[in-house]
Amino acid sequence: MAEWRVFPFAHTALKNLFSKPATTGYPFEPAKYPERMRGHVQIKIEDCISCDLCARSCPPGALKVDRAARTWTINRFDCVQCGNCTNVCPKKCLFIVPGYTEPGAQKASETFTRPAPPEQETQQAGGKPVNDASKCVYCTLCAKKCPQDAITVDRAAKSWALDAEKCVGCGICAASCPKKCLTLK
Amino acid sequence: MAKRSIVPFGPQHPVLPEPVHLDLVLEDETVVEAVPSIGFVHRGLEKLVEIKDFKEYVYIAERVCGICSFGHGMGYCQSVEHIMGVEPPRRANYLRTIWMEMSRVHSHLLWLGLLADAMGFESLFMESWRLREKILDMFDLTTGGRVIFSVNCIGGVLKDMDSGMLKAISDTIDEMEKELRPIAEAFLRDYTVGVRLRGLGVLKPEQAILAGAVGPMLRSCGIAYDARKLGYAAYNELEFEPVTASDGDSYARCEVRIQEIYQSFALIRQAISKIPEGPIRVPVKGNPNGEYFMRIEQPRGEAIYYVKANGTKFLDRFRLRTPTTSNIPPMLELMKGCQLADVPLLILTIDPCISCTER
Repeated sequence: MAEWRVFPFAHTALKNLFSKPATTGYPFEPAKYPERMRGHVQIKIEDCISCDLCARSCPPGALKVDRAARTWTINRFDCVQCGNCTNVCPKKCLFIVPGYTEPGAQKASETFTRPAPPEQETQQAGGKPVNDASKCVYCTLCAKKCPQDAITVDRAAKSWALDAEKCVGCGICAASCPKKCLTLK
Repeated sequence: MAKRSIVPFGPQHPVLPEPVHLDLVLEDETVVEAVPSIGFVHRGLEKLVEIKDFKEYVYIAERVCGICSFGHGMGYCQSVEHIMGVEPPRRANYLRTIWMEMSRVHSHLLWLGLLADAMGFESLFMESWRLREKILDMFDLTTGGRVIFSVNCIGGVLKDMDSGMLKAISDTIDEMEKELRPIAEAFLRDYTVGVRLRGLGVLKPEQAILAGAVGPMLRSCGIAYDARKLGYAAYNELEFEPVTASDGDSYARCEVRIQEIYQSFALIRQAISKIPEGPIRVPVKGNPNGEYFMRIEQPRGEAIYYVKANGTKFLDRFRLRTPTTSNIPPMLELMKGCQLADVPLLILTIDPCISCTER
């Protein structure tokens, strides 16, 4: 039953009076973020292969990838920091790091451009994998590594098939092939 | 018959954090009938399932609500996992259970604060929310977000907790339990709070069942129904009994929620002591085909998730029946005969979440 009590909060009030405030002095004192805090997306543009997977799987559509211009563009104001792009990136060149981006009056985008490739590497990414059936041992490693599940390998029937529509040309299959029978063309 | 008048209540009202409108039919100061209308914050999130990949939709499902976000993500993932015949690893189930119970603590503390605020008990409101901040910090530490966690995925969870994090959670809830005692004492034994809550908005058990009440609203009438007893996630391996109260009034609803916070602390401790080692997710290949109904116990009550898939990466239908949807009819029941001044408090005692309701 409810009862009369005298100054039930006296203890709390006195404690609050002589202890540090529960709030911090932000912005004069920098905010402390835990390591996992999802603040904003960062890209290591040198590792990017413009596969477009991040942009395709971004729920709010905040990312744009232009393969021809070698750019990666993010609209910071559309990004909801869900971290899906970092999960799907086959090259793991996207990171979600603590700290918020600056507020602004306009929804400005930020664009990163990939450095121009050295001549010999031009073949590394961008093309679709082609299998050299004479060397292939049907180990299925390429199919397992494919981030888009675009490769189907049947060991019994000795067949290797590529779904060209699903393939983003990331080159992971070629890199993981132990027999080096996959080439990007 | 006294002269009747109709007073519009909401959609903007100081006590309502979200918009809901009621037409209150009054006889003098007594409410005879309340006619609700909702639809002010409809966002069409269910429809989005038809144009978003089913794996991406997890991020949308959890944005249905800012308080029960973990539960919505988990409910959706579990429905799809059932359709695809995917069994998440045991560790993932335990992690989901810990986060779900942390969500319950966070939701109930938020509600306690709002209740105190609705009564004009400002210091109690601030004490409740200060305590809530600690659980939000734990969410920030373990998931990287304070209210939107983005850790659920089809087939398990995306982030693991190491022993340091589990220890931090365990220490925090020990500390919180100590600090919650004087706050709970004030809610349950304070004279002013008692006068404001006792005997207000009494819901009889048969009325509650007829009107379809769920969650603490139902349990405060003495009916021990808790969807966690269905044994989803790791709940089948944990020991607990549904918290009930017998009076069915606003005080009973407050009491049930406070006891549920203590119950959640106990469940988190149990889960931390029993959590197995192992992987946190299993790879998922292919697209779902089929349909499934999933029921889970959200902080506000039982939520139902219906998923219908057609074998492509886009689902045919996702339907979410939130606890507030079911609690609105009983709320209208208990408003009959109350005073106009009690209406804000009565709306609050069902713990309404209008964003959830309208999706």
